[in-house]
Amino acid sequence: MTEKRSPLHTPLSRRQFLRFAGMAAGATLLAACSPATPDTTDPVDDPVDQPEAPVASEQVTISWWNAFSTPTCQEVFPQVIEAFETKYPNIKVEFEISGGPPGGGEYTEVLLARIAAGNPPETATIWSPPSQYGARGALTAMDAMMEGAELARPDQFYESVMKSCEWQGKTYGLPASAGAGCIFYNTTAFEERGISTKREDFPTTWREIKELSDELTVWEGDELKTAGFVPWTSGWLNPVWAQLNGGQFFDSGELKYKIDSDVNIEWLEYWLSYLDDQYQGDVERFNLFGQFGDVYPESAFAMGINTIDQSGSWACTDVELPFEWEIAKLPVGPNGTVSKTGYWPNWFVMPKGCPHPEEAFLLCEHFCTEGWVIWYKHVMDTPAWRGFPDGVITEKLSQVVGEVRAHDMHEFFAEYLNDAAEMWTSPIEDFANDTFASSVDEIMHKAKTPAVALAEAQALCQSRLDETLRQL
Amino acid sequence: MGMTPEAGPQSRAERGSQIRVSRLRVRLSKRMREDLRGYLFVAPWILSLLVFTAYPMVASFFFSMTDYNILNPPRWIGLGNFTTMFTRDPLYWKSVVNTLYYTALAVPLGIATGLVMAMLLNQQLAGIGFYRTAFYLPGLMPAVASTLLWMVLLDPRNGLVNSALGLVGISGPGWLRSVAWSKPALILMALWGSSGGSMLIFLAALKEIPQSLLEAAMIDGANPWQRFRHVTIPLITPSIFFNLIMSVIGSFQVFASAFIAGTGGAGPLNSILMYMLHLYRQAFRYFTMGYASAMALVMFLVLVGITLLLIRSSSAWVYYEGAERR
Repeated sequence: MTEKRSPLHTPLSRRQFLRFAGMAAGATLLAACSPATPDTTDPVDDPVDQPEAPVASEQVTISWWNAFSTPTCQEVFPQVIEAFETKYPNIKVEFEISGGPPGGGEYTEVLLARIAAGNPPETATIWSPPSQYGARGALTAMDAMMEGAELARPDQFYESVMKSCEWQGKTYGLPASAGAGCIFYNTTAFEERGISTKREDFPTTWREIKELSDELTVWEGDELKTAGFVPWTSGWLNPVWAQLNGGQFFDSGELKYKIDSDVNIEWLEYWLSYLDDQYQGDVERFNLFGQFGDVYPESAFAMGINTIDQSGSWACTDVELPFEWEIAKLPVGPNGTVSKTGYWPNWFVMPKGCPHPEEAFLLCEHFCTEGWVIWYKHVMDTPAWRGFPDGVITEKLSQVVGEVRAHDMHEFFAEYLNDAAEMWTSPIEDFANDTFASSVDEIMHKAKTPAVALAEAQALCQSRLDETLRQL
Repeated sequence: MGMTPEAGPQSRAERGSQIRVSRLRVRLSKRMREDLRGYLFVAPWILSLLVFTAYPMVASFFFSMTDYNILNPPRWIGLGNFTTMFTRDPLYWKSVVNTLYYTALAVPLGIATGLVMAMLLNQQLAGIGFYRTAFYLPGLMPAVASTLLWMVLLDPRNGLVNSALGLVGISGPGWLRSVAWSKPALILMALWGSSGGSMLIFLAALKEIPQSLLEAAMIDGANPWQRFRHVTIPLITPSIFFNLIMSVIGSFQVFASAFIAGTGGAGPLNSILMYMLHLYRQAFRYFTMGYASAMALVMFLVLVGITLLLIRSSSAWVYYEGAERR
């Protein structure tokens, strides 16, 4: 008699078990990794751009992600949210100020993964421009919502700053801040040398500031005692320096990089001339004397080794300098016409697929308008919103420099932002910035001439851009 | 109820057969249950292997042949990413050279440091337990914290290291601000942070060395160096072999220290642009996950190749107790 073995009664072989387990895991993964809503539409044609449904009257909970967790963030952001929830009692905001996404992990990695998986947060703060995310369809366009907005209408923001949120005519984010870049100078050191400390007397051209730097630079033998100005150390302002000399990095209208133009080569040769004329020609050796760039504690500027440096408006309150200081506009190059400033916003975006876009937009609008008034009282991160109420100053700055100067500085940045340079508008922004920073490094290390280094950067950036545009 | 004489034995036979089958079923069911139980015990591990290791590896292999930016569906491009990697990305070869330099120095130095520390801690001294703990502690510090700490220590102007060098008349280098010294700075950080782990393994191996062998060598007139060279080293070669493989893999994958020390960049003239840092930037900063996957695949194949070479070479220099040398 032959025994008929039921498959149910057959012991599982390892191979069978692994096959079943693999199938189960695969099915689980496929389910987990599939977008919640299959979406292959062009971001430009996204129906979310044309919202019709009014804001829900029932209670809605939305989420907001943010990657900072400083004590000021811990203190102030809950106040901003509270004001929002008071204004919109039917919307509750879930958030945490932990320095990363809920559940941990690297902020950008998790955010991108969540967008790809179709379960993103409703809103997020980012520090790379919305243009490069928007171009890839990662964000929800806000144009239709902005048209009907109470406060965040397109014309209510600085034009240049707003461009950093745009890609191909669509707006993919709102800038809360436009922390403007400027010159910081040590007026105590100026006074000791008998140099006027008035802002209006500060050099306005490249030639003048180099002469001043030369006057302030002191060597004792091979030992640098004091540097005047080291212009090449604030990489985020590179696009501004190009425009100070009438040049450009990236033309968002033509979608062309213009890195290796004659005016840009002239600009880099000007920087190199500082190294040769004032700092003994060796950048490696020069770097031994301090951490040049910015004004934060431990920087050469904060330690009195460097007399003039560059930073953003936020440094006015982030740093307590042990000497008197003043701010001024960036100097204009021989081919430039007007001093330009740069800016590095906190951008508020709505990732693609966020479940409550209307409510999410209201939160973005709040943060970038009325909510920023609360933040600005604590940190001088200049607002991008033109409707910012008059008379609001940063209280901490007022305590340090007095109310009159605090008002003066606020007015300085607000006015300066009218001449903001175009920046943050490329879909390959981070790649281009890193590539250009490498080129500057090569030039300052004299590994390549400005013409060669910029030509290589131009070729790399343009080919990457063309490749990216083909894929979009 | 009547029963035919023929029917009786037939029924018994059938019943007997049914009983045998039933017993067989019971036996099989029990075996199956045992098998199932075993598989259920290992199921979490197998599932996590499939989900978190096997699937990402297969997916990464697929993505390496595609143009994939995480946010949009991948597009098949065949070997395009590999062509870009080997012929068009100037920073790829820079990252390869940096990583090879790092590995070539960090691995032997790490093993040597671990071994020296283990030998020091293998002494019979009062409070040796405290020293063992103290020497191992840096390995418990998160990479971010230890890198930040070392960045302060290695500051060319105000750092403790250059200040100490200055006391003995040595002008310290620029460390992380110097093209030539930035990689040695990372190696120094790695030695401090990871030598404790290899030390622990060496210490266990040293404890296993029979004292009689060392004493016999001593009686035969071997000096301390000869005892170390001809007795200790051969007996700890399995530990050296293990540490070597783990260190090579770890060195090729160095990331956190370069990422933090680069503060958004990759050091002067990209001198600390390590392979994994370049890969990370491609994946999460430049949105070229397909290219990053191709880089990961190349790294995987290289590491497999190196590991196989090391395993193959081990028959010539690794001694296992009780095994005959081939």
